[in-house]
Amino acid sequence: MSAHGRQGATIEVQGLTKRFGTVVAIDDLEFTVSPGRVTGFLGPNGAGKTTTLRILLGLVAPSAGTATIGGRRYQELDHPLSQVGALLEATSFHPSRRALDHLRMVAMAAGIDQRRAGAVLDLVGLSDVANRRVAGFSLGMRQRLSLATALLGDPAVLVLDEPSNGLDPAGIAWLREFLRFLANEGRTVLVSSHLLAEMALTLDDVVIISGGTLRAQGPLSALTSRLHSVMRVRTPEPDRLVAVLEGAAIAYRRSDDGAIEIEGIEPEQLGPLLAASQVVLYELVRERSDLESLFLSLTAGAGGDATHLGGRDDRTPGAHWRPASRPRGTT
Amino acid sequence: MTRLVRAELFKLRTTPGPWVVLAATLGFTALGIVAAFLVSKGVVITRGGAVRRHLEFVAPTTVNRLRRLIGAGFEGGGVWMAAVIGVLGITGEYRHKVMTTTLLAQPVRWRVLVAKSIASVIWGLGLGIASLVIVAAMGVPLFVSQGGALSALSHQVGAVVPGLLGAFALMALLGVGFGSLLQNQVASVLVVLGVALILEPIFDGLVPAAGRWLPSAAAAAVAGGSLATGTAHAQLLAWWLAVIVLVAWGLVPTVLGFFATFSRDVT
Repeated sequence: MSAHGRQGATIEVQGLTKRFGTVVAIDDLEFTVSPGRVTGFLGPNGAGKTTTLRILLGLVAPSAGTATIGGRRYQELDHPLSQVGALLEATSFHPSRRALDHLRMVAMAAGIDQRRAGAVLDLVGLSDVANRRVAGFSLGMRQRLSLATALLGDPAVLVLDEPSNGLDPAGIAWLREFLRFLANEGRTVLVSSHLLAEMALTLDDVVIISGGTLRAQGPLSALTSRLHSVMRVRTPEPDRLVAVLEGAAIAYRRSDDGAIEIEGIEPEQLGPLLAASQVVLYELVRERSDLESLFLSLTAGAGGDATHLGGRDDRTPGAHWRPASRPRGTT
Repeated sequence: MTRLVRAELFKLRTTPGPWVVLAATLGFTALGIVAAFLVSKGVVITRGGAVRRHLEFVAPTTVNRLRRLIGAGFEGGGVWMAAVIGVLGITGEYRHKVMTTTLLAQPVRWRVLVAKSIASVIWGLGLGIASLVIVAAMGVPLFVSQGGALSALSHQVGAVVPGLLGAFALMALLGVGFGSLLQNQVASVLVVLGVALILEPIFDGLVPAAGRWLPSAAAAAVAGGSLATGTAHAQLLAWWLAVIVLVAWGLVPTVLGFFATFSRDVT
């Protein structure tokens, strides 16, 4: 890629709605994606990720709302491939066409220097098979060729739909490093996945959707800090426990079965605190101890308001938690 | 637009489909050449009572037959291969999902469709020229070896070639139209060939007066009228009217296809 780096544009999705007949695929979706960061666009299969990305890229017309890149719709961009690189599926090649010819064809249509075709093949490690027909490619090789196509115009914005599909663990590790490298150059990187754990290592921000609606968005760190600090405590003297927690300004919630769920503190800190207060405990369990289960809980079911994970767009994080002694992390 | 057309031409030549179609065009042209030499010498009734047409292989001499030799690409049915090229250029992209890549490079869709139309017309012209090359390489030596007079043949070239190339070019446009309307590759090829081989002859037989407005008959009129055979085609349209009719056969489905399917969501 260019050594000087490229300043990406902001992706903005506002009030985006898409209906296919009577089916509402996307419902009033709203989020932003910032340059210089790797943003994960996460949700289970069928959540509406691909439809959202296809609207963003001008392939599908929205029923309402807008999706813009640097304030302009994709169709309004002067040289779209030199501004936005997209990877949508690993199957969009003519099987009889050679890999290099596929890239030359795209370069020709987009008015990009033909020599870039060889350069991007090199970049994704496919130089050896440049003159082989795509029909003989593995899914992983096709995925790399898709990525090469996305990079052809040296775009400052990258939109990648499930780029890790078909990649082996080494390929996924390579992809993660590559995305990190691109974001560090200042590019905007939006990458969708139905597997949070696979991408978590490289993500700065997350946008989580389910059933076509936004479930959470913000920095991944806010998500991780939350999931490691949720603990479930059973005690015969809940009122005393609550008093201790309120005294220490620790967020908690009484669950229906009488247990108390505590947020924002590690067991190593909570244990000594409760011992000092001599609160009797029957049980102290750390719940939702991995990203995947929090992801599942965020994306399960429908309805409800989206969770804003804090960070720059800090609107009452974790609104159902109390007390309101914020910011988080003061304990 | 130039670079889009160049990209479309590049796409066509980097897949095997158009080359197969070129080979088929050459094959049909060869059949057309042979047909131009076959002359019926009456009917022979064998001793068993069976009726057998007696054919003789001789160099054409009449104006009509000389023109049929030069226009062998048309006479042999090769002109329909130009329509297949138009179909392939557009439906191949839907079939292999290359349309997504195409529309990412050029999101303004009518430009893509115009570029595809131009590229297909260029290929159509190429197929027409290829048919003439085969006529020169195979038909002319055969003509000379059978004692034909070259001057008589060359005299008819000017009358046939413009119409022949026009028919090839406009048939390619018709293919783009059907392809953009139907999107499905197999269905489009079947519909185009079905119209050519089944619907038109039936229609011709039932309503001869209307048959001349159909693509083959219009193409025949474009290609010089006298190329056409059969009594049903006796009343061909004037060449200029036939050009308009054939352009309409290409443009109407293309425009319909643009609004009905091509401008829709690509999922």
